[in-house]
Amino acid sequence: MQKVRISNGMFMALIINMVYAKAIGLTQGSIAREVGGDMWISTFFSSIQGCLMMLLTIYVIRQSPESNILGQSELLLGKWFGKIISLILFLFFVGAAGAVYTTFVYHLKDYFLPEAPTIIFVIAGFIIAVFALYHGIEVIGRMALIGVFSILMLNILIIFGSIRDFDIRELMPLFQYGVLPDLWASRHNNTDWAMATMMAAVILPMVKEKNTWKRSGALGIVLGGAFVIIWPILETGVLTAEVAGQYIVSCMQMARSAQIGLFFHRYEMIMIAFFSLSALTQIIMTFFCAAVSIQNLIGMKSHKPAILPASLILSGFGYWVVLDHHRAIDYIETYWVTLAMSIAIGIPLMVLVLGFIFRKKLKQSKSASM
Amino acid sequence: MAAKFKICVLVCVLILILSGCKTGKRELNDLALVMAVGLDKGSSEGLIKVTTQIARPSDARGQTGAPSGQTGDPIWSASAEGETIFQAIRNLSTFSSRRVFWAHNLIIVINEKLAKEGIREIIDFFTRNPELRMRTWVAVTPNKASEVVSTVTGLEVVPGEALDKLFRYTPISVQAPRTQILDLQASYLSESTEPILARLRLVNRGVSNKKPGQEGGYKQVELAGAGVFKGDKLVGTLKPFEVRSVLPFLEAMDTGMLILHCPDDKQKKITVELRNQKFKVIPSFKNNKPAFTVSYQTDGSVVEAACPFSLEERAKVDAIEREMEQEKKKEFEKLVRRAQKELNSDFLELGKVFHNRYPVEWRRIHSQWETIFPTVEIKVKTMAKVKDTVLLKNQTKSGRINK
Repeated sequence: MQKVRISNGMFMALIINMVYAKAIGLTQGSIAREVGGDMWISTFFSSIQGCLMMLLTIYVIRQSPESNILGQSELLLGKWFGKIISLILFLFFVGAAGAVYTTFVYHLKDYFLPEAPTIIFVIAGFIIAVFALYHGIEVIGRMALIGVFSILMLNILIIFGSIRDFDIRELMPLFQYGVLPDLWASRHNNTDWAMATMMAAVILPMVKEKNTWKRSGALGIVLGGAFVIIWPILETGVLTAEVAGQYIVSCMQMARSAQIGLFFHRYEMIMIAFFSLSALTQIIMTFFCAAVSIQNLIGMKSHKPAILPASLILSGFGYWVVLDHHRAIDYIETYWVTLAMSIAIGIPLMVLVLGFIFRKKLKQSKSASM
Repeated sequence: MAAKFKICVLVCVLILILSGCKTGKRELNDLALVMAVGLDKGSSEGLIKVTTQIARPSDARGQTGAPSGQTGDPIWSASAEGETIFQAIRNLSTFSSRRVFWAHNLIIVINEKLAKEGIREIIDFFTRNPELRMRTWVAVTPNKASEVVSTVTGLEVVPGEALDKLFRYTPISVQAPRTQILDLQASYLSESTEPILARLRLVNRGVSNKKPGQEGGYKQVELAGAGVFKGDKLVGTLKPFEVRSVLPFLEAMDTGMLILHCPDDKQKKITVELRNQKFKVIPSFKNNKPAFTVSYQTDGSVVEAACPFSLEERAKVDAIEREMEQEKKKEFEKLVRRAQKELNSDFLELGKVFHNRYPVEWRRIHSQWETIFPTVEIKVKTMAKVKDTVLLKNQTKSGRINK
């Protein structure tokens, strides 16, 4: 059977989509509550850290380019170690589902259908994601390419709609909270990059051009970072950091405030239309990576039978998180940060160190695959 | 075949759950579209009165408002009271046949008596509500807010729309700041800046076309300066002529005007339109105390002269320029004095300007800003140049020699 492959462009698009939806809204609210007008500096710091995390992950996978981080773990320390790493990654994506469902549900429910039951949104996300997953990663990759176009359109529209009310004084003074607090606040955005890097750790072997992995990964982060950083700059300059920090989903406040002329205002609907592909890509890819983790954990030949159970577990957890606003924000700002950062940095680092120790094993596998 | 069946089932499921048929739907016919809302004190202590001006779309058609819904009235105003705004709105539904819908609301008008007691819950309610636009205008009024939102003003059929347009064209009239709910929220949340809101009032100035003799026979809403807050409480008001000095501190300036004395004949007036106005507040930190220099530059365009005036007469031009500078300086100094001594409210955003330039020093003083603000030194520097006389080159004077 021929292996499924995605192009490097699709890989880049998946990275951008994977980070965008949550980073512009919920994340910015969390950062604004900590460092106010420095939120864009914090986001910038985070993009640099995200780039480093991505390069580390790519470097690790390139040690044995035919296997993802799960396969590589198995290769290095045997079956059981591989299963432990699979379980940890599965837990990571369960945790990620809490964050991505919070993004998806609160954008739709709080701003459009406040009276609709939460379960409707969770079921909608579940059905679309499972449907996409049965069509395979290539279809998802193509969808992500359209998602990048949507993100670009949304960014252009939000710039046009808010530039008139932009007050650069709100961005001053720089580093008003200091460099270290800004760096510390960047952990919120780092969790978004963590989702992208862990996704890369799972899907990289499917990306066609191995030689340009680094370039694609870094470019994906740079473009994703550029698309994201526009939002904290505008949110600070138009809404002010105090207002952005008041809200759970600060990007929707930004959309509510944008207008071009008299008849083109209230961007919420436009925002949802353009950002939904990114939000759905986040859900789909967390389901996909969780299914691949289950596949490795149980030792199945294909990830497809694992799609449904994995999606059900992730949706169940996501539903539990979003049912209570306080719980959701508390989870995203505390537990999820610890979980995401420790796994997204810890696992690639561990595999990297093990790769140095057991170089021979990796060389053997590399030569066997060639 | 099986794949097609699966797709059909999926589409059916998606149609059911995504169309909004089950829950959360709102039919247009079931909605009462609020165009303006007025907030007054209730009939007894602790109560708040909410007046909503609701459009009757069938009677508000067309620019003339020619009735087609057979009621002849393009709006329906309804009031209800409650202990909170939310309760008052819920009480509205006891007699409103449709559900109150805020998404099209254009303005929130708050009565000054209520504003003096505090508007925290008003800011909270209207910024918490997902239906409202963040660009909704907010104003205070000395009159009953219920009356202001129900008064048809100008050419518009729906009063809310008329008030919206008053604000849209304030850059020309320069009579009130263009305050929106987002600005109010931002200044209320700010650690240094105090809120300022536009002020509206009712005046008898309408002229009936049918009875032109009864001039001023019916009320119209007009922009009437600004209301200044300290925290969430209204502490004073600014007159329209004072507002033109406030605006440069808050918004990008469009145009303005000054009425000056003719250099040769002080009884006659000369009107100068202010263009290319440049405004800057420069903070400094002297003797452990903040200080500010307000710098204002403008070009003047003579738009009306009741006396002979030409740019070729340099002495006259210089005299006009000096008067412009003095006039603006006086205006700014008076405003700053009022803000510092009388109102003790930093609605001019001086604290913010200082914070931007001196963040370290600001950290030292920000907790005492309220006591420091009235004592800070503020210098005003103005510069004016008269550069054109619009279309005319020569003076407008009678051709007869004796005249």
